[in-house]
Amino acid sequence: MSGTSMTTRAWLLMLPLLAVMIAVIGWPLADTVGLSFTDAKLVGTAGNFVGIDNYVKTLTSSSFQRTLTTTTIFAVISVFAEMILGVLAALLLNQQFYGRTVLRALMILPWALPTVVNATLWRLIYNPEYGALNAALTQIGMLDAYRSWLGEPGTALASLIIADCWKNFPLVALIALAALQAVPRDITAASLVDGAGPFARFRFVILPYLAGPLIVALVLRTIEAFKVFDIIWVMTRGGPANSTRTLSILVYQEAFSFQRAGSGASLALIVTLLVAVLAAVYAMLVRRTAGSTA
Amino acid sequence: MSALEIENIRKTYGALETLKGIDISLESGEFLVLLGSSGCGKSTLLNIIAGLAEASGGDIRIGGRSILGVHPKDRDIAMVFQSYALYPNLTVHRNIGFGLEMRKVPVAEREKAVQETARLLQIENLLDRKPGQLSGGQRQRVAIGRALVRKPRVFLFDEPLSNLDAKLRMETRTELKRLHQMLGTTIVYVTHDQIEAMTLATRIAVMRNGRIEQLGTPEEVYDHPATLYVAGFVGSPPMNVLDGVVTGEGVQLDGSATVITLPARFKNAASAGRRVKLGVRPEALRLAADVAESPALAVEIEVVELTGPELVITGRVSGQKVTACLPPRTKLSVGMKQAFGFDEDALHLFDAQTELALG
Repeated sequence: MSGTSMTTRAWLLMLPLLAVMIAVIGWPLADTVGLSFTDAKLVGTAGNFVGIDNYVKTLTSSSFQRTLTTTTIFAVISVFAEMILGVLAALLLNQQFYGRTVLRALMILPWALPTVVNATLWRLIYNPEYGALNAALTQIGMLDAYRSWLGEPGTALASLIIADCWKNFPLVALIALAALQAVPRDITAASLVDGAGPFARFRFVILPYLAGPLIVALVLRTIEAFKVFDIIWVMTRGGPANSTRTLSILVYQEAFSFQRAGSGASLALIVTLLVAVLAAVYAMLVRRTAGSTA
Repeated sequence: MSALEIENIRKTYGALETLKGIDISLESGEFLVLLGSSGCGKSTLLNIIAGLAEASGGDIRIGGRSILGVHPKDRDIAMVFQSYALYPNLTVHRNIGFGLEMRKVPVAEREKAVQETARLLQIENLLDRKPGQLSGGQRQRVAIGRALVRKPRVFLFDEPLSNLDAKLRMETRTELKRLHQMLGTTIVYVTHDQIEAMTLATRIAVMRNGRIEQLGTPEEVYDHPATLYVAGFVGSPPMNVLDGVVTGEGVQLDGSATVITLPARFKNAASAGRRVKLGVRPEALRLAADVAESPALAVEIEVVELTGPELVITGRVSGQKVTACLPPRTKLSVGMKQAFGFDEDALHLFDAQTELALG
């Protein structure tokens, strides 16, 4: 079969999938792009063409900048903490000890729970009247009186980050654990004979095998953390005083609460662009890591 | 003082005993090969010496100091692994110097040692590369360099040539022999390849089921195998083993009227009626004019294989398989019945029940 007919056949085979993708992704995307250049409301008229006004207003608004900062803080701290916790948990679960299999299964539980369940659980833990955290901290003397962890701007974001970490570190741990099991036994043995201590062994022997899978986890988690919505919506709805408002919440509020579809569309596209840039940077990192360990 | 003393080493996994009391004493500069098939316990013994596995009993001393319970890095050993076990993200230079780096040897001293080792192994041009950019043979040289650079009292090699192709294996084997002759290091080397064992070792320990079947020089192991297992394991093709019974005249082969007259050295060991196994190496067989020539075997030829340097004949003597290695130009063909003679000195005799050598 010639190359040309092979190409034709390949396109023909892909055509149904392409048609579906254009229908469910391409068309809404194009519609959103079109909408973002108008002052359309969610209901009512189609709106007037306003050029790049929506983009200029969004990018120069203080609420967008504040929200971008909040989102970045949330993403960076939670992903960083998840990476550390995940790797530590994987190193622990890679040791030989009684009950390891049970512990491995239990560890997956927070990640396996639906986000809404996880968020509700943490709202109960943080509850200012009967929450377990307040009870525990007052009983061990670290707290004088019960606090509203989610109700104070100073503690709300940190409380959310902890809840998000608890839910997502098992994913990193699972990926790291799989990578740890791929570290050749001979290399670990060679490092023991060479006199490498635990830290040097981690740095020179284990980390090169962890780097690739961890970058994949980092890509996935950063993108997810950057567009986080559900856990925050259930726990704080972006409050108090917008202190936990992330970009996705802002998009929702703009498009649906304030019913500004045009402005909401431009904001959504900005978020999409930011995530795409992140994905491209990480894809580059993954390629580079794959090249260096080949 | 011995460089390495292994005293009654045992290893058990639950009810399974994989090492059943190993005793070996190694002088400085010796090249000991632990030879055996998979699961015989040779790698377990090496790992115990290295400190990568714990012994269930016994003692190991290096330079007179007991090393059981001592961390691998403090045992004064270096190890070369079958898979090379190079650190993939470090350059060849850092791989070789890694052990010295971990021991906080000053940079200048470390650099000198790495350069010397690289020169010795002729890998100076590879120092800036990473393991992924090297061929199998080059990786193995780096792995050997990593062990050599530390100048330990004992070197441990765990099947280091197994991952190389046949040609490279032979070249690296010669290189190892040259290094051992030049440096006079004490080496414990694990392999299942009897050619490696014969060519490299100053002594071979043939292992089976967690025990040493025979410990001796390559010549002793090859010329005077202590058991039927050793006789069959060392030598390629393996020794011919023919079942028979001792009679007044010699050994009568099963299913045949052929009687092999026993040399005087077997007279006391072989009493009439005793079931025995008679051994002759394939390379000890030569063409004989007649079966009347004694001792000789009348072989019906089934397969003729020319390997290049020799002609390998496989046939049967009254149903029992016999192999002979002859000069390549020998004119023999399938279906012929040919008499093969051998010297009396080439004859080995084993008790059929205990499988121990007689005489």
